[in-house]
Amino acid sequence: MSQTGGIEHHASTFAAVFEIVSFGAIIVLVVLGLGIIASMMGIFNFAQGEFVLLGAYVTYLAYAHGAPVWAGMIAAPFVVGALGFVLEALIIRRFYAAPIVAMLGTYALGLIIRESVRGLIGGFYLTVPEPIGGSIDLGSVHISAWRFTIIVITLLVMGACYLLLARTSFGLRVRATLENPALARASGISTPLIYGATFAFGAALAGLAGALIVPVFSLFADLGIRFLIQGFVAVMVGGVGSFIGPVAGAGLIGTLSAALPWVMSPVVADVLVFVLAIAFIKFRPQGSLLGKGSNHHVD
Amino acid sequence: MGGASEAVARVGEEPDVVTGEGAPAARAPAGQASAGWKVLPIVEGLVLLIALVLPWVLQDYLTVFATRVVILALFALSFDLVWGYAGIMSFGQALFFGAAGYGVALMARDLNVTSILLILPAGTLIGLSAALLLGGFLLLGRYPSSVIFVSLGTLTGSYAADRLARGWYYLGGQNGIPSIPPLTLGSYEFEEGPVYYYMVLGILVVVYLLCRFLVRSQFGLALAGLRENEQRIAFFGYKAQHLKAIIFAVGGTIAGLAGSLYAFHEGFVWPNMLGVVFSTQVVLYVLFGGSGTLIGAVIGTVIIEGVSFWLSDNYRDVWPIILGVLLLLVIMFRPLGLISFVLGERERVGSFGKAPKESGNAAP
Repeated sequence: MSQTGGIEHHASTFAAVFEIVSFGAIIVLVVLGLGIIASMMGIFNFAQGEFVLLGAYVTYLAYAHGAPVWAGMIAAPFVVGALGFVLEALIIRRFYAAPIVAMLGTYALGLIIRESVRGLIGGFYLTVPEPIGGSIDLGSVHISAWRFTIIVITLLVMGACYLLLARTSFGLRVRATLENPALARASGISTPLIYGATFAFGAALAGLAGALIVPVFSLFADLGIRFLIQGFVAVMVGGVGSFIGPVAGAGLIGTLSAALPWVMSPVVADVLVFVLAIAFIKFRPQGSLLGKGSNHHVD
Repeated sequence: MGGASEAVARVGEEPDVVTGEGAPAARAPAGQASAGWKVLPIVEGLVLLIALVLPWVLQDYLTVFATRVVILALFALSFDLVWGYAGIMSFGQALFFGAAGYGVALMARDLNVTSILLILPAGTLIGLSAALLLGGFLLLGRYPSSVIFVSLGTLTGSYAADRLARGWYYLGGQNGIPSIPPLTLGSYEFEEGPVYYYMVLGILVVVYLLCRFLVRSQFGLALAGLRENEQRIAFFGYKAQHLKAIIFAVGGTIAGLAGSLYAFHEGFVWPNMLGVVFSTQVVLYVLFGGSGTLIGAVIGTVIIEGVSFWLSDNYRDVWPIILGVLLLLVIMFRPLGLISFVLGERERVGSFGKAPKESGNAAP
């Protein structure tokens, strides 16, 4: 958050609020895919951070090869989503029975992706320019146009996800598969295909998140890890098993992470957010994981 | 070349703690059918033997490296107890390792305490208290905690501690605490090298034997039940959460011991020791070697560290990728780890404690 650069505008509360909201939006974007996979499939995908990294990497590749940045950003979710589909069919599928094994397996997967990217880019921080540069001036306040765009896109993506899951027949199938896989199969829904599509969709969202945030954070191999733990905590605070839960959790965690450093030392703030979140989950387990979603998986 | 053979040799090097006294202990209770000869004591004996002769074979700098591996094997044991025997996924085991490391480093820096007689108990105590605190919080309480909550809670704890250490000037920030003086006993200083190696190996052997006794006792039986089916164990009247908290604390204690040895061996501590890097590293060791067998944890550590050391000259960039692929393959196709190639299921499960009054060895 320190690098988000709000510090020079001590003055304006508005600028502070903008910083906080835009970081919250970034966390929501990252968590969306994580939450959908956790809720719909009951597994915590440790490779999600690396999907974010891949999205960022695809965007960088496009840019490095002379394509416009926005083209890379559009390609990223498709590339990462396709990869997610393949990985689900080859590997993830074996892990559904045991959530802990799924965590370890996806961790290994993430390790492979992260280290491959590290091998490709070296230990550098590579910058990608913002496709929409400059700032929006509101009187004396200047806010970054790109961060504003991220907020708008996050809202659009959230809305689209919600509509997709709640209003389309695909969403109905996904929810049916989540609710009762056996009955869904009996009704003629191809549950393996649904699982594959859901995982690919979650991966694509992570890819999109990575593509959008790479101009802000630049590209480095540990980009994904930075968000992974925050994402997990957000999902658990919000509660697994619904669409809105993880999003709300992400909003809360993202906002807190961005807001607290304004009132206390960033280090303390950072740690405090995690402590508060874990305590919250501990004392409200129904609201979080224990309530739904993973009951049938706990071994 | 030298490096290669050493790395391979190392596979057996450190660990083996078990053999000598461990074997009879294991055999006696295994009163049931004579299962022929057992693989486990042989593997353990072999590993111990190699570990014992290693400093004579290795050059000095490799002995220093081997010492580090022995300490990490001790750390791996702590995770194996918690995950392999009780089914608690502690994704933050480095928290206890690193906290103890930082604690003893501060004792050395600010209080000038370097005596092994104070440092090791202190480190152990730090590990124990940290584990009691975190474990008590995560595991105890009105609602039994889900396995996912515990794993994410420990992971988060470790990550938060890492961040805290990085940002806290008193703890040296990013750089950690450098130039810790050597461990002392009276006026004797434990320098890196064979002496430190044998000291650490001795500690590993003792801890290994204690662990081995623990997991083969009636307590170990209850733990195994916990791992296999927690609900059923609860129906039998055990306080499953308490059992978990106890073994979690034991794990933290051992991790603390390992952390303090590591801090003084390396001569510095740094935030990674507390964080996700070490936490996941230890998971790799144990899964790779074979969780739920103590020797598997040791062998996994030795293989991963050994190969990584050997490859670091030529294939530094590729190694983490290979490691990830191997790990994935192990998880998918050999969930019991490499040790399962030589160790049968029956022996892995083993038998437990003295059966009360000759009548079955079931729980009382």
